[in-house]
Amino acid sequence: MSQTQSLSTDTVVATRNARRTYYLGEPVHALDGVSLSLPAGSFTAVMGPSGSGKSTLMNLLGCLDTPDEGEVEIGGQRVTELSDSKRAHLRGTEIGFIFQTFNLMPRLTAAENVTLPMVFNNDVETGRRERAEQLLTRVGLGDRLDHVPSELSGGQRQRVATARALVNEPSLVLADEPTGNLDTDTGAEILRLFEELHAEGRTILMVTHERQVAEHAEQIVHLVDGEIAEVEQLDTDASNKRTVTTDETH
Amino acid sequence: MRLTESIRISWRAITGHKLRSTLTTLGIIVGIAAVITFMVLGGGLEQDVLSDINTEEDTGIQVVTQADTGFGGGQTQSVPIYTQSDVAAVSNVSGVESVTPSASLSAVQLTHGGETITGGSGSVYGVTASTPDRFESELYNLTAGEPFGAQNEAVVNERMVDLRNEVGGENLTLGDELTIQLQDGRQLNLTVTGIVDQNTGGGQPRVFAPLEYYDTSVETPSGDEERAYPALFVRAENVDQVETVKAALNDYLQNESAAAELKTDDQTIAVQTVEDAVDQFTAFLDQLQLFIGGVAGLSLFVGSIGIANIMIVSVTERTREIGIMKAVGAKKREVVQLFLVESLILGIIGAFFGVLLGLGVGYLALTVPGWPMVVPYSWIGIAVVVGVLVGVLAGLYPAWRGARVDPIEALRRE
Repeated sequence: MSQTQSLSTDTVVATRNARRTYYLGEPVHALDGVSLSLPAGSFTAVMGPSGSGKSTLMNLLGCLDTPDEGEVEIGGQRVTELSDSKRAHLRGTEIGFIFQTFNLMPRLTAAENVTLPMVFNNDVETGRRERAEQLLTRVGLGDRLDHVPSELSGGQRQRVATARALVNEPSLVLADEPTGNLDTDTGAEILRLFEELHAEGRTILMVTHERQVAEHAEQIVHLVDGEIAEVEQLDTDASNKRTVTTDETH
Repeated sequence: MRLTESIRISWRAITGHKLRSTLTTLGIIVGIAAVITFMVLGGGLEQDVLSDINTEEDTGIQVVTQADTGFGGGQTQSVPIYTQSDVAAVSNVSGVESVTPSASLSAVQLTHGGETITGGSGSVYGVTASTPDRFESELYNLTAGEPFGAQNEAVVNERMVDLRNEVGGENLTLGDELTIQLQDGRQLNLTVTGIVDQNTGGGQPRVFAPLEYYDTSVETPSGDEERAYPALFVRAENVDQVETVKAALNDYLQNESAAAELKTDDQTIAVQTVEDAVDQFTAFLDQLQLFIGGVAGLSLFVGSIGIANIMIVSVTERTREIGIMKAVGAKKREVVQLFLVESLILGIIGAFFGVLLGLGVGYLALTVPGWPMVVPYSWIGIAVVVGVLVGVLAGLYPAWRGARVDPIEALRRE
């Protein structure tokens, strides 16, 4: 098995030999020893057939789940050592989630949805409106602040979700099939937005099963049967390209 | 998360389902309104009866017979056990100014102005034989005329006047002649000399006639045949002597009187001052209110089940929203807080409108018997506390379920 690798200082999120097993009659290793370090400012795509462990990896990195074995470190903190409410706090402050189905609160306006993470992680109530306006303007929805999700198109909803993911300045933006529910053109707009965010220096990890979507990233991590099969570097013209590191265990 | 923030979010959830929230709070509203209404009615009755009585200054003492069993501290029974000798003995007790026996006459028919008056509207009238002294008590309020003086005179209460009005024809007023046919065949022709208020006469239409018409007698323990009465009304010489006279009467009646021998084992001779009677009435009313309040409280319980039920539905329905909130950093405690605040708001709204409705319905209901409005402040306080409690208790389990939602599962839902 792998030796424990010391994390470089600009690593925001890392897993070390993470293993997650579900018991469905017999044990199923959804993740079977995955080690992955995401440097600050990297843009990574995770690909793999269904059942390969993409969602499980996503849940671990997003602090929604903990590994049965191995370690997950977010912002220098070992997730397995944290209490339930500390993990919730970590999710709210270090991670920004973007989901395939947008997952906006249906009764809250765009601005309120964007600042929802502040409700749970920040006691200051002033300045929220300004923050929402700033972020929604950033994603091109400066004129939709008081619209509820049902009054917005799919692409607009995903932009609101993206703005929400950024509101607490997280270490990592986690996107789970962000274009899965969008048509090609709208999906392309969202991916362009991601590229812009990457250019601003944000760290992004995106799970997708579409090669075309994954190619917007700097590198693609290929998962097969709960293990990393290959890390593929993509030719991008970024001069300061950052790459993920993995421990090859086979 | 701040409380103001959870109130804002919960309020959004409540107003997002207006019909559902309304129906949910309706259970609480009806429960609390029922309690408040009964308390208003009870308070009104109490106030109405007691307002005319000055318990501090009345020198009247009542001697009645009570059954030992019974709700509200013994039920008064009408048994003729206080013999003429007892009356004589009581009047010799030091401090006693007068003794008035009281008894009812069995009337079969009452006619006035050519009309036969029967007990209409389900109410039956009664005829009481007594002496004029009786009208000096605080418990008897003459509103017109004066007590009867001689034979062939009578006093009626306002309920009797009302009963006469229901029959139609002439009104019953002072100076009118009443004809009463008694069960034993005698016929009394009485002229009305006075009218007492509606509280006098035990809530029934009633005619008060001179004691001479009463002739029930019993065989005394010593073997004589003597006239006997079911109740005595004793008047002390002054207010300061009421308690000593009461004690002396008790001493004599319980131990030496013929009545003590004539009563059965499950009967008790009760010597009551006006204050005792008031206390007894209040105690009875309190028990009645508590009982009815308990029944109304049941509907509150049902209402709280309604809140719990709807909150569980709400938690299930909003599983995904809970997942979203958890994904963006909501702690279990914060999810609990959100749902508890929501059910708390439902409870408080229910209590608020329940109190308003209860006071309104109570106020309207009071106009029928004409009782005064007494705002039951303590019960309003209790209602609000209960509303809050119901809200919290009904919300506990749903909130706990909400907090347990697994965000991974919740977010996968469509």
